[in-house]
Amino acid sequence: MIKLQSLRKVFKSDLLTQPFVALDDVSFDVPEGSMVGFLGANGAGKTTSLKIIMDFIRPTSGAVIFSSKLGSSKLEIFKNIGFLPERPYFYPTLTGHDFLLFMGRLSEMTTTSINHEIQVWAPRFKIDHALKRELKTYSKGMLQRIGFLATILHHPKIVILDEPLSGLDPIGRKELKDVIIEVHKEGKTVFFSSHIVPDVEEICDRVVFLKDGKLAFDGSVGSLITDSLAFDYVVSVKADFSFNPQTPFKSVTILPNNLKKYIVESGNKDRFLVEMIERKYIILSIEMNKPTLEEIFYQTRGTV
Amino acid sequence: MMANKVYIIAYYTFKEILKSKILINVFFAGLGLMLVTYVATEFTYGVPERVALDFGLGTLSLSSLAISLFLGATLLSKEIDSRTVYMVISRPVPRFAFILGKILGLLGIQALNVFLLSLMTLITVSVLGGNITPLIYWAIGFIFLESILLLLVVVLVSLVANNILSTLLSLVILVLGHAVKETQSLTFVKNRGFFKIVLEAYHFILPGFYKLNLKEFVIYKTSLPFDYLLSSLIYGVAYSGFLLALTIYLFNKKNID
Ligand SMILES: Nc1ncnc2c1ncn2[C@@H]1O[C@H](COP(=O)(O)OP(=O)(O)OP(=O)(O)O)[C@@H](O)[C@H]1O
Ligand SMILES: [Mg+2]
Repeated sequence: MIKLQSLRKVFKSDLLTQPFVALDDVSFDVPEGSMVGFLGANGAGKTTSLKIIMDFIRPTSGAVIFSSKLGSSKLEIFKNIGFLPERPYFYPTLTGHDFLLFMGRLSEMTTTSINHEIQVWAPRFKIDHALKRELKTYSKGMLQRIGFLATILHHPKIVILDEPLSGLDPIGRKELKDVIIEVHKEGKTVFFSSHIVPDVEEICDRVVFLKDGKLAFDGSVGSLITDSLAFDYVVSVKADFSFNPQTPFKSVTILPNNLKKYIVESGNKDRFLVEMIERKYIILSIEMNKPTLEEIFYQTRGTV
Repeated sequence: MMANKVYIIAYYTFKEILKSKILINVFFAGLGLMLVTYVATEFTYGVPERVALDFGLGTLSLSSLAISLFLGATLLSKEIDSRTVYMVISRPVPRFAFILGKILGLLGIQALNVFLLSLMTLITVSVLGGNITPLIYWAIGFIFLESILLLLVVVLVSLVANNILSTLLSLVILVLGHAVKETQSLTFVKNRGFFKIVLEAYHFILPGFYKLNLKEFVIYKTSLPFDYLLSSLIYGVAYSGFLLALTIYLFNKKNID
């Protein structure tokens, strides 16, 4: 749906400071129908990339290419995008309902269809009771919700969200995640940035990982986990108490009834199993010790 | 379709400013002014309606210039600082439509202000037995045009300077734009070619606000040559168009972050 081609962005704030390279040769793809998580530490360049996609700022070099399915002119393409900025802030004196009308009408919806969508979605976001109130009376979570509602109101083909889950309590996060999943199931492409790794791992099929303005990883969640670290295996065997394997292992836990749980590096796994079989010990189970995305994120500090 | 989007943006801009209650202040300023006028006319001999007209047009002009200066400086920067602009330009809305909508919304407020204050002035003048000449309407129209021109100056400057600076800078441009006429007729300047060139160059680049000032004429004369009025009108409109085009051009190139 959207392709970033060798994006580079250099900020020159003033004459005295060094130019700052916020994005350096960043290329990736947001495939149609996918749910892509955009990960990176604070300052990695996520918001900068999204601003370039939305044409708020221009890249120093490189380009953003939109699929023809989104449209051929900028206006047509933008009609098919739903964008929620980071820490969104809306006109404080508008009521919730007015704000949604404003956004919907800018996206070329009729008042009738806007009101219809509001009726469908507002109760799901639990803001139906507050729609007549001015936005300045809304809590942070409520603003995030009504912002998300405005983002999907016009049935965009792709939804781009900059940290949609930040500032929400656990229940609010869960609810919003559920709606994001639902919107994705309807066939929309979803691209959202976050540094809450478990959220991305939970709901995304792909991840794009930025580190210091450079692309560190782009691929499926599963392959990020398989590629990035050599796994350990947990092998449970029934063996003599005195048994000490020749094959190196990392640790062992001794359980009652001659049960032992060995942690073996993946390189030693086969040799370890052969040794067990030769000695006729009973192998009860073998499990891959999968790290979570979060563990990878923090172990590598974003370098994959 | 595009006109519709400009209208929507203008409508919500208008509504937002209206809610800030600025017009209520203006309204009470107008009322106070009528009161002051009434008191003042008691103490002047012979020409109370002239005093009323002078006061009325003066307030009208000051208030609409103030609206342009102060609300114009934050018209775009407030949107950018508070990031509300992202909500609009991430929609199928070209940037020129955004600018046009914002400016038209503020001009709606201007129009309302001009309407209210000139109505009050006209009522006061006629109650005091003054004649409402066509030139008075021209003067009111030109005050509106002057505030449009000033607004466009402020908005343009605000794209490159911060709020306070753009208000100040535009105020300077406004004052110079009025002073340039008097300076030109000084013999000191007339006799020195260099100054003449500088002034003419200034004239060529910066707006000659004095062309839109009919207050002096209106109080002491009842009519002006139509040619003069027409050429000033064309000047004001053309200059505004030029500023608007420049503003749109710059805003299109601007990085909004
Ligand atoms: N206008 C600017 N001028 C100078 N530097 C900037 C500008 N905008 C962003 N940067 C810098 O670019 C880098 C990337 O910023 P960006 O906002 O894209 O990070 P991010 O990945 O969104 O971080 P976060 O998770 O904190 O939102 C940061 O170091 C930031 O300071
Ligand atoms: Mg960010």
